[in-house]
Amino acid sequence: MTILNDILTFFLYAVIAIAAQNAVFTRALGVSRLTRLVETGELAISKFTVLLAAVQLLSAPLAFYANRLLDINVQLRAALRPLVMVLCSGVAFFVVLLALGILSAKTQMKSLREYARALPLATFNCCVIGTLLLTTTGGYTLVQSMGFELGSAVGYAAALVLVSEGQRKIQNRNVPASFRGLPVTLVYIGVLALAIYGLTGHTLAI
Amino acid sequence: MNLERARYYQENMDRLMQTDRLFLKNPVLVTGLGLAPIVVAATTLNNALILGLGVALLLTPTRLLAAVCCSRKVPVQLRGLVYTLCAAVLYIPIFFLLYQVFGVSLSAVGLYLPVLVVEPIIIKRYERPQPEPLGFALRKGITTTAGFLLALFVVAALREWLGLGTLLGYQLLAQAPMPLANYTSGGFICVGLLAALWRWMGNLFKKYVNLEAKQEV
Repeated sequence: MTILNDILTFFLYAVIAIAAQNAVFTRALGVSRLTRLVETGELAISKFTVLLAAVQLLSAPLAFYANRLLDINVQLRAALRPLVMVLCSGVAFFVVLLALGILSAKTQMKSLREYARALPLATFNCCVIGTLLLTTTGGYTLVQSMGFELGSAVGYAAALVLVSEGQRKIQNRNVPASFRGLPVTLVYIGVLALAIYGLTGHTLAI
Repeated sequence: MNLERARYYQENMDRLMQTDRLFLKNPVLVTGLGLAPIVVAATTLNNALILGLGVALLLTPTRLLAAVCCSRKVPVQLRGLVYTLCAAVLYIPIFFLLYQVFGVSLSAVGLYLPVLVVEPIIIKRYERPQPEPLGFALRKGITTTAGFLLALFVVAALREWLGLGTLLGYQLLAQAPMPLANYTSGGFICVGLLAALWRWMGNLFKKYVNLEAKQEV
């Protein structure tokens, strides 16, 4: 029964992070990277999502246990927390890099090199550190944190897909020259964020 | 505008487009860096003051420290980690300094202060393969900070006026003209509209310079 409860909690928090607390539309986490990825198309959405999800899932338990060790003065904890989160995501970065290296050596797949090249973009990202900070300061349990982290990665991918699809419609000649590119993309994300706000009906604590 | 000035701008427009971080290539409104804190937390000028001081104290020192640490021996793959670690280490004394100045008001910007350590405006330089010379890092750090602060205060003033009808806490209007400006969605829309206005003004400036130079000839 406890396992079933944990699985349910995991998926509940994942769904919350995908929709009602989408990292991009509700907290604008990683939006600078998103607009660049959409505009340049330098990296496939699927590759970025796989890397982001791997890093977030691996760093979630590390951040959870590291935060429990940070049982110190409140101000010192607030000052040290970003460094601890960066170290946790750094460990996840090395684990994923190692896994890619082993896979690459065994399978000789060339695309794995591209994954390795894109790994820093997916690791040192506001979405990763921002959600780690949210789960640790919000007092989430381990299962809740892992569900929320996975959901955030999927939610980020959903935002990437939505904005990329929107780009095809909004980048045409009818859009005034001054609005093309970043301005119209931001207005478009704003309208989508408004729709999410309409769905949840309240603003989230930052 | 006199002939010499117009010609100077016309001849150096390409260079200015690359180097002028304040107006022609503003890091926020033209390049799209540092959007998260501006879109969500910059709802009032008081919040902008906290974020502005945080970025001013973090950006240039991080670039300098990372430029020192990222010698040619550091693999490109690890530069992101080095830049982020430098920012996170520098954040510790900066947090205490900000706490001394602003006290518990720091909580008004929530996670957008600690998240600065991975904000692209602070660490984006790691994506370039060549190491950054110290003088270049200092110059670019200062100009990028100035550009960020300009965009931050313009957006925050606009959002405070639209969303609350106040400016620096002083009531200017009986009713807020557009309360949506206080929300994340309103932040995206405000920054998008301001980015369009910024681009329009940049294009107008370029046209004006070309026209002036031609007229004088």
